[in-house]
Amino acid sequence: MAVQLKINGHHQVIDADPSTPLLWVLRDHLGMTGTKFGCGIAQCGACTVHVDGMATRSCQVPVESVDGAEITTIEGLSQKGDHPLQKAWVELNVPQCGYCQSGMLMAAAALLKVNPKPTDEDINESVNNICRCGTYSRIKAAIHKAAEASQV
Amino acid sequence: MGKIDLNRRNFLITASAVGGGLTISFAALDSNAATPPMNGPWGVATTNPELTAWLSIAPDNTVTVRSAMTEIGNGAMTQTAMTIAEELNCDWSKVKVEFAPPLRNYKEDNVYSKVGGRTGFFSGRSTNEGNIKGGLQIGASARVRLQTAAAAEWKVALADVIASDGVLTHKASGRSMTYGQIAAKAALVKLDAEPSPKPQSEWTLLGKKSPGKLNNPAIVDGSAIYGMDVRLPGMLYAALKQSPVHGGKLKSYDAEAIKNMPGVVAVVVVDPAKTPGTADRDKVPFGKYGIEDSLAQHAVAVVAEHYWQARKALDALPVTWDDGPGAQWKSTEQIYDAALKALEKTDGKVAAEAGDISVLEKQPKIVEATYLTPYSEHACMEPLNGTALVTPDKVEIWHPSQHAEQAFWVAADEAGVSPDKVVYNQTYVGGGFGRRVFGNDVRMVVAVARQVPGRPVHVIWSREETTRQGRYRPMFAAKMRAGLDKEGRPQAISSRLATSKAPPTIGQTNGLKNTPYLASQIPNVRLEMQDLPFHLMIGPYRGPAYNALAFVTETFIDELAHAAGTNPLDYRLALLASYPDPGWAMCLKEAASKAGWGKSLPKGMGQGIAISNWPGSGKPQSGTTVCTVATVEVSKAGEIKVHSLDVAFDTGRILNKDAVHTELEGGAIFGFNMAMTEEVTVKDGRVVEGNYDQYPIARAGDVPKINIHFGGLTGHDRFGEIGEPPVGTVGPAIGNAIFAATGKRIRTQPFSKVDLSWV
Ligand code: FES
Ligand code: FES
Repeated sequence: MAVQLKINGHHQVIDADPSTPLLWVLRDHLGMTGTKFGCGIAQCGACTVHVDGMATRSCQVPVESVDGAEITTIEGLSQKGDHPLQKAWVELNVPQCGYCQSGMLMAAAALLKVNPKPTDEDINESVNNICRCGTYSRIKAAIHKAAEASQV
Repeated sequence: MGKIDLNRRNFLITASAVGGGLTISFAALDSNAATPPMNGPWGVATTNPELTAWLSIAPDNTVTVRSAMTEIGNGAMTQTAMTIAEELNCDWSKVKVEFAPPLRNYKEDNVYSKVGGRTGFFSGRSTNEGNIKGGLQIGASARVRLQTAAAAEWKVALADVIASDGVLTHKASGRSMTYGQIAAKAALVKLDAEPSPKPQSEWTLLGKKSPGKLNNPAIVDGSAIYGMDVRLPGMLYAALKQSPVHGGKLKSYDAEAIKNMPGVVAVVVVDPAKTPGTADRDKVPFGKYGIEDSLAQHAVAVVAEHYWQARKALDALPVTWDDGPGAQWKSTEQIYDAALKALEKTDGKVAAEAGDISVLEKQPKIVEATYLTPYSEHACMEPLNGTALVTPDKVEIWHPSQHAEQAFWVAADEAGVSPDKVVYNQTYVGGGFGRRVFGNDVRMVVAVARQVPGRPVHVIWSREETTRQGRYRPMFAAKMRAGLDKEGRPQAISSRLATSKAPPTIGQTNGLKNTPYLASQIPNVRLEMQDLPFHLMIGPYRGPAYNALAFVTETFIDELAHAAGTNPLDYRLALLASYPDPGWAMCLKEAASKAGWGKSLPKGMGQGIAISNWPGSGKPQSGTTVCTVATVEVSKAGEIKVHSLDVAFDTGRILNKDAVHTELEGGAIFGFNMAMTEEVTVKDGRVVEGNYDQYPIARAGDVPKINIHFGGLTGHDRFGEIGEPPVGTVGPAIGNAIFAATGKRIRTQPFSKVDLSWV
C-alpha cells in the first residue's frame, strides 16, 4: 500500500506495510536517521517528530494513520541547524552522548510554539523525554535561552 | 622515506618512526582503503598532508585530528583535539575530529594505542597522563615541522617564525601563510629531535577555556551518525532473540512458519561454540578475558529487507529454548537469600588483611550491619546494534563501541580471519557506561552477518532485548563489622562480600578495600570475598563495584558516627585527620558548607554526606575524590523527595571546566537513578524488566537540583577522570539523609522499594 506524506515540506509516497511505525518509515524506508529509536513503546521520546505541528512519538504511529499529514523531523526543524533552540543547545553545550537530543529538541520546539515563555514546570510536563546521560538542567536552561532570544 | 607494501594493499607509509613514537607520512592511503559508501565520523583515507598519523591539515587550513578514543558522551574526542591544539596553535574553529582506524593501528605497529597505553582506544580516559603527554607531543612536533617548513620557504631563522591561530608569521618581513598552505612541505620535514612541549604554566587552552563538544552541531541537526544510523547500499536488517535465561540454548525453531512473510531473507542461528576464532588471541586489548567477556549467547535472528519486517517475523517465529542451569533461580529473592547465606560462611578468599583482626572483638562497642545492592542495567539510550559486511576477503564493520580496538579484535575473532582483513568504522555512541567495552555486541553482529555474506547486515536489539540481555552491574551483599574504642573510633573493621563471580577484568572491591579507611587509616582490617555462581551475565557498569561498595562503606561509616554520637561530617574529618591527601577534607568541607550543613531542618527533612574516590588505588592524591551532600524530605507515609545534591570533587586539576561540570551533573543523576529505582529482577531464570515502563529512568521533573562546587580541587598535578567518580557517593548521601530525616537506616537499594514511612 502506498501512503502519502509531506515530510519537511516535500511530498513522499511510501511503499511500506501500512502498520509500519512512522519511525521506521523515516529511518529505514527514507533513510532519515535524525529521528531516533530508543524504546519503541512511546516511553522515551527519542523518536519525537511533529505531526501537523504536534509533538508525536513516532514509534507508536502506524504510517497509515498519518496518511496526508504534514510531518516535521529534526532534519526539517531549520534550514541550517539554526533554530533558536539548536543555537542555544550548542551555546550551552547541552548534549552528552546526544542520542536523545533530537527528540528533546522536537518536543521543546512544539512547546515553544504554543507556549513561548514556558516555566520549568511547563518543561517538565511537555519535554518529559528520557535522557540517560542526565542533561536535564542544561535542556531547561537552553529552552529558556531560546525563548528569550525568540522574543527579542 | 621508505615504502612498505603491506599485504598487497597499496599502502604507503614512511619507515622512520621518529622520536616520540610519531610517524610522518604523506598522502598516506589509509587502512580503510575501500571508500566507505557513506560518511560518518570514522577516519577514512585522506589526500591531505598528514603531519603524523594523528593529524592532517587541508589546504583550506582545516585540521583533522584522529582520536583513538571513542565518544560516548563524555567529551573524550573533544579533549583529544584540545590537547593537541594546545601545542599546535591552530584555529580551533577549523578543527575536526574523526576516529582513528584500528586496522591502521594494527598495521603500523600500534601507532595509535601506544599513546595512552592499554586504554588508548578506550572512551573514558582522555585526561590520563599518557594521553595528555602524547597529545601535547603530537601537537608540538607538528607545529615545529610547520615552522621549519616556513622558515625554509622564506629562508629565515626558525626562531623568527611565529605559529599562532593556524597562521605562520615572519614579523620582520611581514610575511605570513596558513598552516594549510605549507602542510604538504611540513609533512616531509624530519626533525633531528622532537621538540619539548611548553610547561603547563604557559597553557592557554587547557584549563583556561571550555570549548563545547565538537560534535554538537551534528547532534542538534540530526546528522551525527550513531551505530543505529548506518545506512549502506543493499543493507539488510536483522532482529534478534537470545536465550531468555542467560546461558540457555536454542532447542528448536520453525523457519518454515515465517519464510513467506514479506521481506524475510533468512533465519540464522548463533551458536557460541561455532565461533571460529582468530590467531593471536593474546593480542586482544584485554587479553584472554577480553575474549571470554565478549562471548555471545545462543540466539536466533531474522534477516529481512526492512527492520519492521524482520521484527514482525521474529515475533511470529516459533522458538523453544533449553533454559539450562540458570532456570534454577526462580526469583530475585532466591538469589539474594543465597548471597546473604554466603555472608555467614568463613571460607571466603581474603582480599585484604592488615594488623590483627582479633582486636575487633576486644573493643567496648561493636557495630554490625548487612547491606544489599541489586543488579542494574546500563539502559543506554541507543539500543545495542551494529552493522557488518562479510565478504570472502574482507570484513567491514560500522559500530558504536566504547573500545574500538577491542571491537576490531572481537570482529576478527568471530569472523575467523586475521585482523588485517577487518576494516572497522567507529560511529558515535548513544551511551556506554561500560556496556559497550568488551564487544559481545559486535561479536553477535558478525555472527549474524557472516551467515548472510555479501550484503551488509544491520543487527538491532529491541529495547526489551537490550535490557534482558545485559551485562549488568552485579548484585552485592556485604556484612560489615567494626569494633569502636571508647572514643568511638574504629580500631578494626571486618567485612564479607558476596557477589557474582567476575573475571579479573572487572574489579570487585573498589570503593571498600581501596578507601583510606581500609587501605591505611584503620589499623586492623580483614576483607573476605565469596564468589557466587549466579547465571546473570555481568560486566563493567559506570564505576564497577565502587557503584555498590561506596554505598556499603559510606553508609557504614555513617552508622559508626551515629554509634559514636558524633556528627557524620566531623566523624569523617577525624578519621581522615592524618590521611596525607588534603583533597578529602577539602571536598567534605566544600560540599558541606555549600549545602548549609548543620542548618536546622524540620522533622522529615535531613541531610546526609558521603565521600569516596574512583578509581581509587588506595594511595593519596590519586584518582578522583567526590563528596556529595543530599538534602531530602520524607513524608510520614514514606514518600521521598530529594531536594538537592551538592557535589564537591578533587581531580587535582581540570582541563575543561564546563566538560567537568556537565559530567559531574550527569554522573550525579546516574547515581540518583541507581540509588532510587534501578533493579533488574528475575523470574524463572528470566529477566523481568524489558522496557522503560518497567525499568524507569528519571525524567526532567524527577531529578533533584544538582549543585557542582569547585572548591575541593587541590591543584595537585594530575587530571583525574570525571565520568565514573560522581556515581558512587549519591546513594549513600541520600540514604544517610533519610536516616537524618526519619531515624530509619536504609541498607538496601533501590530506595523506591524500601518502606520509608516513619512516625
Ligand atoms: S522510541 Fe518512541 S518513545 Fe522511545
Ligand atoms: S545526551 Fe545521552 S541520552 Fe541524552
